[in-house]
This record gives sequence, structure tokens and C-alpha cells, in this order.
Amino acid sequence: MLHTDAHITVGEMLRRHGISRRGFIKFCTATASAMALPPEMGVAMADQLRGAVRPSVIYLSFQECTGCLESLTRSFAPTIESLIFNVISLDYDDTLMAAAGGAAESARDKAMHDNFGKYVLVVDGSVPTGAGGGYCMAGGRSAEDILREAAKGAAAIVCVGTCAAFGGIPFADPNPTQAWPVTAIVGDKPIINVSGCPPIPEVITGTLLQFVTTGKVPDLDEHLRPKVFFGNTIHDRCYRRPFYDQGKFAKTFDDEGARNGWCLYELGCKGPTTYNACATIKWNGGTSFPIESGHGCLGCSEPGFWDQGSFYAAQSAAAWGKAGEAVPRKVMEVAAAAVVTGGALGVGSAGVSRMRQRRSEQDAIDRKSDGG
Amino acid sequence: MSRLTDIPIRIESPDRIQSPRLTESPRAVAGLGGGVMAILAELVGLLERLASGDLPATIDLRSLPMSPQDRIALQSALGDGEVQATLDAQGLSSIRETRVPGLWWVEHRDPRGEIIAESIEVTRIPQILMSALDEIGAGAAALRAQIANTHVA
Repeated sequence: MLHTDAHITVGEMLRRHGISRRGFIKFCTATASAMALPPEMGVAMADQLRGAVRPSVIYLSFQECTGCLESLTRSFAPTIESLIFNVISLDYDDTLMAAAGGAAESARDKAMHDNFGKYVLVVDGSVPTGAGGGYCMAGGRSAEDILREAAKGAAAIVCVGTCAAFGGIPFADPNPTQAWPVTAIVGDKPIINVSGCPPIPEVITGTLLQFVTTGKVPDLDEHLRPKVFFGNTIHDRCYRRPFYDQGKFAKTFDDEGARNGWCLYELGCKGPTTYNACATIKWNGGTSFPIESGHGCLGCSEPGFWDQGSFYAAQSAAAWGKAGEAVPRKVMEVAAAAVVTGGALGVGSAGVSRMRQRRSEQDAIDRKSDGG
Repeated sequence: MSRLTDIPIRIESPDRIQSPRLTESPRAVAGLGGGVMAILAELVGLLERLASGDLPATIDLRSLPMSPQDRIALQSALGDGEVQATLDAQGLSSIRETRVPGLWWVEHRDPRGEIIAESIEVTRIPQILMSALDEIGAGAAALRAQIANTHVA
């Protein structure tokens, strides 16, 4: 009988790598802590996972810069090595895997066939539909074609990065490749958006581990992001917040206010309208985050962040929409185009209906403003 | 230069820059902040519940907005007890009972020495110290095989 790694439990894989239950409890405790889960979850998570078969994960890269994968490979807790070797079975990632060409494509097809209905599909990058999909092809097939096929057997789709989640930079005006987020293509699967340009590594691994542990989609916000990581704005948790409250703002990057660590709002910081965990989990193993380095937040985890004008101009919250519902008008207009072209593209109804809903909400806000 | 760590850059965390007292001894920290007092009060409640038969509980110290001074003050207030264990699994961990029976200060580090989790467990003995049943079984089988393969002179 063929006994492949895909069918062994996490516990067996741990034993093969000489990792004891105690070592795995440490791993899970650290992960639970990073995810702000109850501390007791660490032991429960470890015991549950040890008896589970490692879930198959298929990682598709489309129109992207590989920054998200670079980020993922720098996760501290859990590390990507521990995740890949022990907890998940990463069956396809064309950047990380040793195989190439036909062998790589075969590995993906086999994993999809063997784990139909059970695998986690991770998508990195937007999906270009212009030029017949010719802007992003692999193995002679367009990104859209590959995504549609892979989505059919997925238990859930995790969109890693703002490009996969909201279109990102390729989606920005004038969107020359007619790029779309995954939600505009696939509408009948649970989708978790882990946005950011790139996302925080621990947020990617934590989201994957949470889904693998519980088998359930976590609580999501209206942009389908896990609330545990995207529940607060950067501004809410910023250590410079007291200066904002006191009205102390840096006016230039080299003035006295900047040297004193005052609030960067007037230098374009988008922290008040950006939902992410940078101010708490931070980057590079908790070393710091952009505001701690003296630069305002770019708002990279929000939809349409690239089309909001200068990163260095102070913007009122109104320009970004109501806090937490930051869907810029231009995004809404493009989304409306998605509705029109949706039939031809086979655009998923769920994603479009979400955009429609937001558009009508935005229009209602606009009408209210126009009417005084 | 082949490794990132070879690059001669020193990173100082803002906490350290703003907290010169971090290097002072715990005795130099005067008084306890409100946050520390709140944690101590919560620990008292959890201990009383444990003593009356309730389930163990854990406080995740990394989820609390504690300054380095708060951390030192809390450590100083709880002191050291009779048991100190070091776990060597995927990095070192320190598991020590405080002066207060049933309160265990647990600190996990990764193989690079970075703290990845830190908590106070309110329990008779932290679960991580107990041997796992399946590993006991596997250990017994391994020992039996070792005996079988050993030739007595």
C-alpha cells in the first residue's frame, strides 16, 4: 500500500522530526498567544492537531511581486518551517517547491484530486483577465482558469495579500491588465482575506493554523478579514496615540515634533482608517512597525489603498470612507464594472453582491452628503 | 558576508532606550503600578478558585500592556518558589513555581533565544511538564527493544 506523507497525522510527522509533545505545545502556545486566543488554547490546539491528518495546502501565485511569500517565510511564531514540516502538507507552491514544469503541475493536480473538498487553497496576487488572461499564464493556462479549477475542490480559500484580497496594485488605476481580486472570480467558497502589502507573517501563519486547527472560518469583518487580527485600527493601538489626543503633530519628517515622536497624522499617516495588527504584533519578530520607524501608515491592508493620492498628504477619514468601511468611490466604480462584465467573466455572485452592497451603502452616504 | 546576522547592525528597542531603569535591580523599582496590582488581584481570585476545586487557569503576559518595569515589579512581588524546571524542546523554556504555591511563571523561548510566549499558570503542575501517554508507550516499546538487542556479558 502506498503510504504517502499526505496521509500521516501531525503527531506522526512530529515524531519523525524528533519534536515531542512538549515542543509542540510550545509551538501552539506561542501561536495562540500571537493570535490573542485564550492561553489554554495552546495545549488544546496541540492535542487536537497531533491526532489530525495534515491538511493539504495548495499555494497559487498569480499577478504578484512575491513580497507576500517573502513575508510568510519570515514568520517567527509559528515559523514557516515548523508549519510546513509538521502541521500542513504544502503540496504545491511554484516558488518554494523543488519540482518545476510538468512535474510541479502534476503534483498540484494530484493533490487536488486526492484531497478534493478538503484542501486549503492559498492565493497570492490578483487575477488579470485582460488579453484573454495572457498577462499571467502558467503551464499554458491563464491565472483565471487555474483559479477556477483549483477553487472547485477547496474547503476554503485564503487570499494572502492585498492583491488577492482587493486587487492591490495591479487593480489600481488604470488597471491595465484588468486585474480582479479573488472574490470577483470565486463566489461559492468560504474566503478569508489576509490583506496587507505584504501581510504580517504571523497573521498569515496564524490564520492558516487557526483554520487547520478548528476546520472553521474565523470571525470575519465586512472585508472578510479575520477580526482577531483586523479588529482594531492601527491608530487604536498606536503608541503615538496620546500625542494625537494632545494635538501634537509632526509637520515635517525632520522637525522637532518628528524628533519627539509626535503623531504622524499630518504627514499622511492612514492609521485612523486602517485595520491591521502592525501596532501590536509588529514586524520582524516584534521588533517594530513603520510608525515606530518614523513613517506614517500607508493603509496597505485597506481596499483601494493605492488610489488614495499621496501617501504624504493628510487625509480626512471622510476621504477614505467611514472608518472600517473604507471602500473608496473609485473602487466602487470599478466594482460596478465588474457587475456589468460579471456574466461574461463568470464573476462569482457572492463577491459581486458584496461590492454591490457596499456601493449602494456608499451611494447612500454620498446622497446624504450632497443633500446636506 | 553570507548571513543576515553578519551585517553589523545593532537594533535597540524603544522600550530599552526609554527605560534605562530596566538594568536596575528589581529592588530599585519603587511601588507597584495599578496594572500590576490588578494582575495580582486576579491571581488571588484564580488561586482561591483552584483551591476550591475549580479548573486551572492561565494569564498570557504578552497580551497585557505591561512596561518592562511592570514586568520586573510583578516578578519581584511573586518571587521564587521551590521548583524550577528547564525544558529543552524547540528552544529553552523556564518553568518555575513562584513563592506562591500554585502560581507558575512559564517562559518559552525559540531556538534563537527569543521569548515566544510568557504566562502565569494557576495550576498544581503545568501540563507541559507532564509526560504524554502516547510518548510513554512509545518509550516503553523503545526500551523493550533496547533490552532485547542488548547482549548480557
